[in-house]
Amino acid sequence: MCDFSGRLIAWLDQELSLDEAADVKRHLQSCEDCQRDLDSYQRVTGAVQSLCDATLASTELRRLPRWVLLAGTAVAVTAAAALLLALPRAPMEEPPVYPTAAVAAAANLLEPTPAPVDVPVKKTHRRHALVPVRSQQNLNGVQSERAIRIVIPAEAMFAPGAVPEGITLLADVSIAADGSAQRLRLRP
Amino acid sequence: MSDDSVPLALPLLRFAADTCEATTLYRELRKPLLRYLVCLGLSSDEAQDVVQDAFLRLQRHLASGRSQDNIRSWMFRVAHNEARNRQNSYHRRFGEPLGDKIDFVADDATPERLVLEKEKFSRLAKAIQLLTDAERECLLLRAGGLRYREIGEVLGIPTSTVGDTVDRAVKRLAEKCNV
Repeated sequence: MCDFSGRLIAWLDQELSLDEAADVKRHLQSCEDCQRDLDSYQRVTGAVQSLCDATLASTELRRLPRWVLLAGTAVAVTAAAALLLALPRAPMEEPPVYPTAAVAAAANLLEPTPAPVDVPVKKTHRRHALVPVRSQQNLNGVQSERAIRIVIPAEAMFAPGAVPEGITLLADVSIAADGSAQRLRLRP
Repeated sequence: MSDDSVPLALPLLRFAADTCEATTLYRELRKPLLRYLVCLGLSSDEAQDVVQDAFLRLQRHLASGRSQDNIRSWMFRVAHNEARNRQNSYHRRFGEPLGDKIDFVADDATPERLVLEKEKFSRLAKAIQLLTDAERECLLLRAGGLRYREIGEVLGIPTSTVGDTVDRAVKRLAEKCNV
């Protein structure tokens, strides 16, 4: 074994005097055994250091999802609650807004339909007052449970001047409270 | 008497100096301590507890007027002893390979490199399990940046023994892991 091997670590730790450090450095340039030992030592301790870093990072990474999960759950629950409270009311309380004058004019072609929320609830059925409106008679006498009714005239469906002559289509869509389209039909 | 203000001013100055020193120490030592404890086998929560306890003890130690030449090795010793006291965690740790816990490699790693790194870590961790307790502790403390003299203070063994133990551990790992 080389005489200098015992001093290699002290040299690495900078615990030698300047003269001793210079000796070790000079020796390292000429001694292959010491070079190999030092190289092996640094590679192993470096690898262990990387392993320790990765282990710590992994445990910290594993701690993170708990917070993220809690915060995410809280946000999701709040958002879901807000949606549940807000969604059913908005479409039922306000009648649909027709964007253009043509749509409004065409809507007038239809027989007036009562707004879904305006359906009177008889006092005798008071205990069912919170139950959604069950049904109402539509133009064709079909029973349907609807929340929104949208009627689009042909003028609004085609570009200006592109409406085929003699066609006055009306798209009649009913959307239920759960968002499903209950009826979609075209009326001449 | 001109010295009247001294009894009041000194504790205040000392408190301010201690607080500043404690903050600096916390920043410097927290992560190395956590890393050592996690590598010894403590869970992240346990390691956090031990580190907090160690800093509280340091504060009490300094507040009682006692000095400490090498605070780093003192803190590692406190943390190491506390980890030893938590026998359940300590033994649980050595029952399972350390490498299986690793699921973190550098962000820029390609999938191939990720697999290779994980394999390397796993192999190294298994080899570390096969070392003796003293070899493992010396090696982990050395990887934590402690000098041989400091490792000797932490473990209560002579510096020359630390040198021999680390050398032995390095040779065994180099043979088994080809690192």
